[in-house]
Amino acid sequence: MSIMRIIKPAFTLLEYFYVLLKSVERSAERRDVFELFKVLKHQYGLGESKYKTVTRDRKELTSAQENRYLYTFDRVIDEAREYGLLKETRESLILTPAGVKIIRDFDNQDFDKFHQQLFSLMEKKGAVFRNLIASIYNVQSHPPGLLIFPIYSPRLLNFERAEIKKTSHLIDYSWALVKKLEADLMKHLNFDRQLKKRNDELLVNLTRAGFLSEDPSMPFDPKKYNAINKRIRDYWINYFLRDIYGYSSSWSAFERWVYRGKQIGILHATEFLPHFHGKIVYPTSVVIEKTLSSDFREIYAYRDGMKLFVHRPSWDRIQNKFVKSLVDGYFDLRRSNQSYFISLTSLRELVCFKLKISERLFESYLERAYRLNLANRLAVRISLEVDKLPEETKAAYLTREPVMVDGRHRNIIAIDVTKGVNR
Amino acid sequence: MSTLLRRPSDGGQFEARGRFERFNLEENPFPSDPFVNKDSTDKRVNGEIYEVEIRRPEYEKIEENFLRHPQADLNHIRLGYLVDTSFVGRGNGKSAFLVNLQQNINKEYCLDISDGHNKCFALLVTPEAGGRTKTFPSFVDQMFDAILRLRIIDECLAILRLEAITKLYPRTDLTEDLKNEKSLRERLRSPEWFWERDFDLSAISETVASNEFLQAVPPTFPVLRGRPSLIKPFETEGDFANYYVQDLKKGKERYDFLFSHLVRFFQAAGFNGAYVLVDDFERIPDFQSARQKRDFALELRSCLFDGTFTNAKIGFYNMILVLHAGVQRLIEEAWALSGMENRAPISPRVDSSHVIAFEKLSENHASLLLKKYLSEYRIAPVGSDPLSPFTNDAVRLIGEMSEYNASKILKTAYELLEKAASLENQAIIDRDFVLANKGGIEITTEIARDNKETEPEDLMKKARKAED
Repeated sequence: MSIMRIIKPAFTLLEYFYVLLKSVERSAERRDVFELFKVLKHQYGLGESKYKTVTRDRKELTSAQENRYLYTFDRVIDEAREYGLLKETRESLILTPAGVKIIRDFDNQDFDKFHQQLFSLMEKKGAVFRNLIASIYNVQSHPPGLLIFPIYSPRLLNFERAEIKKTSHLIDYSWALVKKLEADLMKHLNFDRQLKKRNDELLVNLTRAGFLSEDPSMPFDPKKYNAINKRIRDYWINYFLRDIYGYSSSWSAFERWVYRGKQIGILHATEFLPHFHGKIVYPTSVVIEKTLSSDFREIYAYRDGMKLFVHRPSWDRIQNKFVKSLVDGYFDLRRSNQSYFISLTSLRELVCFKLKISERLFESYLERAYRLNLANRLAVRISLEVDKLPEETKAAYLTREPVMVDGRHRNIIAIDVTKGVNR
Repeated sequence: MSTLLRRPSDGGQFEARGRFERFNLEENPFPSDPFVNKDSTDKRVNGEIYEVEIRRPEYEKIEENFLRHPQADLNHIRLGYLVDTSFVGRGNGKSAFLVNLQQNINKEYCLDISDGHNKCFALLVTPEAGGRTKTFPSFVDQMFDAILRLRIIDECLAILRLEAITKLYPRTDLTEDLKNEKSLRERLRSPEWFWERDFDLSAISETVASNEFLQAVPPTFPVLRGRPSLIKPFETEGDFANYYVQDLKKGKERYDFLFSHLVRFFQAAGFNGAYVLVDDFERIPDFQSARQKRDFALELRSCLFDGTFTNAKIGFYNMILVLHAGVQRLIEEAWALSGMENRAPISPRVDSSHVIAFEKLSENHASLLLKKYLSEYRIAPVGSDPLSPFTNDAVRLIGEMSEYNASKILKTAYELLEKAASLENQAIIDRDFVLANKGGIEITTEIARDNKETEPEDLMKKARKAED
């Protein structure tokens, strides 16, 4: 597959474009633009990861950080130039009308437009998303349109860290992992694959690299424990990416495009789908010539007549299904939880997965359902609360964006169905 | 005439009299905004109209587990929870219940309820909305504020002075004064009365100050601070308030005052405990960070159970936190980390006497509630039909529509009665009338909870399918 060859993005978060363009709007001189860029980058919590940072405190940058920032800055300029958002003369950067428009959309908080604009510009350059989405539908998964990247830590497979001391323990873990991966391949993709050879290859690689000892009864270097686990994880993720799904790009390039798609609302990627261990990717859009269903909205037309439709059912059409998914998901998660309240972000994952809608749409429909509930016009009672805000945790990154409803961040939800519903 | 001098033609409150006469009602007995405001003069909203029967099981549990249990037994419950299980949010009658519980306790300071074992007063503390009562020091301020509102310090001063009089002037006959306790209370608050009766105020103050319970409090404490001077000040509750605000720093000093010195003072006046009813407790953790929650729980534990305070030693204050459903989750981690979970588990595994469930109302309760409000505003006594103009069917439907939530039932009844009053020929409120005037559209949906798992959407199939 030749997708994702056109541009290898160096960053994931699309707000980088805004941050750059906004900096250029204030100053044309490259050096000054960089200074502003750094300020805004902090302000918007943009890091190098696909997740936003939680702390917004500015610290003195080390020279290594400064260089990394400069690298990102240069790459954002490269891409913005590529998409015609700005022009560069010798030492100055100049906004194009498209760049000005992008800034306005963002400033006016019209994020849908902002993302849509960027999406169109990217798609014009190589139809990366089209190829990506089409390739996902080509995988014979169950349910259709799904990529899975299972990840099982030793702990998940009942190997406690304190008991993993010898090489043989890690070898045992790798075989237990193989069993799980084979089962997942069968369950989700209907693939009957034997991964024995692959695991042998992995173990040889690990031994050659000095991570494992030739003698299984010998201990391994405990300092390398995390590195060994990372090697094992990366090996299997790349196996799924290249051998199972047939992508030729690197994992990082793949992930960046996927998470860009997630911000636009045409793809969903998560590491937190309840009952699944690992990452999954699925489209919330389709690429076809035409559709009669009014639940889709065309957002891009390709030259060959194909179109990209995003799944965006209207509230009127989806309300019953949405509330039902919410209630089903709530009870599903309640099973493993004693208290009334469960994590709203986990419920969001379940609902988005079931209905194949974007997180933004989930948020807006949850707000509608919640307002109906407040007006006593919903057959169930919904209670949304906050227990801990991201900035109150020790986390450095916002791995799960909080849900904003009725102007407040919410992270726990409880639903009461005692009225009008047979449980 | 100038607009500066013009007044509205209706001087006072305008009451549309007569609108409800045909229903044998003076006015609409139901509150339009059915949330308890205990400071209001309107009995519809200040908790005064209260049907005891509705909350009898909850009240009996509190009486048995808290009020009747002798304070002298150091194993009495010091921290309990009144937990809303109805899970329909606010308005289930918790605040009205608390207002009445407080009145019941304070009527005879629990002596009647406990067969003379406990002389306790009850405080009602409501944390401020909007996160202003977020820290333990601010909660302590709220508690002291509740003490001032109850005027219990004044009461204690009166008790102590009266005891001093009987001790210093054994021959004085107070029989007549004791007949009217209310006016005696007033007199005991006024130095003039002491002068008139020729009581030596200095000697009385000295007798009060020498009470055995007050020997452990610092000399700066209001009733003690005038001791060395020749002219003894006549201390009032206001002096306590000033002392608290002006002389004591937030934190340790105020904790000592509230949980040690005041406890001694109350003991000196003959009280052996107090019930602190904390309404809307969720207003505190709602705005707290994880750290603030833990700190709050630690301070509470220290003041109630194992700190160096007199209260921790004897368990003077017994707290009942009123929680709406779901608050447990907000605080369970803090409770576990601070060790509170071992002292007074918030999610106990077994049925525990310190957790009182506040149950959802039933059909019968809805009818009792409406009858009570109606009876308060009847023009002429009613015989066989205390619910009129409502029919039984209508009340059942109102209850269902309101999910048997007390405030929603009252609000719906208010609106239906208003509507009926505006229609000339509407004499009764029956099921059809309720149905016809049901507001809003309801999403009934097919969210019937079958056990069938919904399959994830297959987008490609959906997009290719002909329009449904």
